Amino acid sequence: MIPSTRPNRIHIIQGDCYVTDEPDTVLTTVLGSCVAACMRDPVLGIGGMNHFLLPGDGERSRPGEAERFGVYLMELLVNGLLKRGASRHSLEAKLFGGARTVQGFADIGAKNVEFARRFLENESIRYVGGSCGGDQGRRIEFQPSTGRARQFLLPRSTVEPAQPVVRRPAPVDLGDVELF
Amino acid sequence: MSLLAQLKILVVDDTTTSRLLLRDALENLGFRNIQVAANGEEAMKIMLSTPSHLIISDYNMPKMDGLQLLKAIREYKPLSRTPFIILTGNADRKVLEDGAKLGLNNYLTKPFTPENLRRSLEAIVWRLH
Repeated sequence: MIPSTRPNRIHIIQGDCYVTDEPDTVLTTVLGSCVAACMRDPVLGIGGMNHFLLPGDGERSRPGEAERFGVYLMELLVNGLLKRGASRHSLEAKLFGGARTVQGFADIGAKNVEFARRFLENESIRYVGGSCGGDQGRRIEFQPSTGRARQFLLPRSTVEPAQPVVRRPAPVDLGDVELF
Repeated sequence: MSLLAQLKILVVDDTTTSRLLLRDALENLGFRNIQVAANGEEAMKIMLSTPSHLIISDYNMPKMDGLQLLKAIREYKPLSRTPFIILTGNADRKVLEDGAKLGLNNYLTKPFTPENLRRSLEAIVWRLH
């Protein structure tokens, strides 16, 4: 029997986290002002992705209140990797998202990115790339086994859509693609 | 000086950011004497040299997890009555049952709110008073 080479695609929705050691798995997500951390242990070739949006109302939220939710999702990712044998010192991460998709509102995307970068710095996790900010949403594909990430920019008018928990087929039109 | 300001509390978590957030939340509640440890082993060393009145510990930690730390505390007579609160990601029933058998005083699920933190501490703090 010939093994299938088609990757197993898993879509990560807001508030979710997924860790895998399957070499053919590709994790996907759609981001507006949310941030996704793509983290892996390059030695073992295992990794995962989360997708978070810090709650709160911008400047008025008390420091710490919003961050607790972000820390929780980052911890799920880190602990999920450590449970599968990853070494904390080997961990590396890419960050995506944090766009300002709705002009005139507080730039919550920037706050999410700032939080994620600070978390990586606090936990001494290497930041190895990604794409954050701007005013366009993004669709991200991340293959934990190789560490390869692809970004597809969405049209400017696209506000972060509601995301059903479904495994999406590969897109036909690749649009504006960047590799990371 | 208030009661909370007099109490010495030990925060144990392997995630630096979590330790900082928990420390901030405790300071907002009025605690002023907060010690921190990054894992169970470090926590035990601190408790043996400068014991705290109560411990809040993450469950999921490398080397010595929260329940192993609780067991070590309960088995060492001079520290065995130290109130112990465990922080868990999903209030895992098995963890809480095992914790209860070891003498766990309370638990707190992540992500915690300041109100949940206050409630989990309230009964314990009054008992220490």
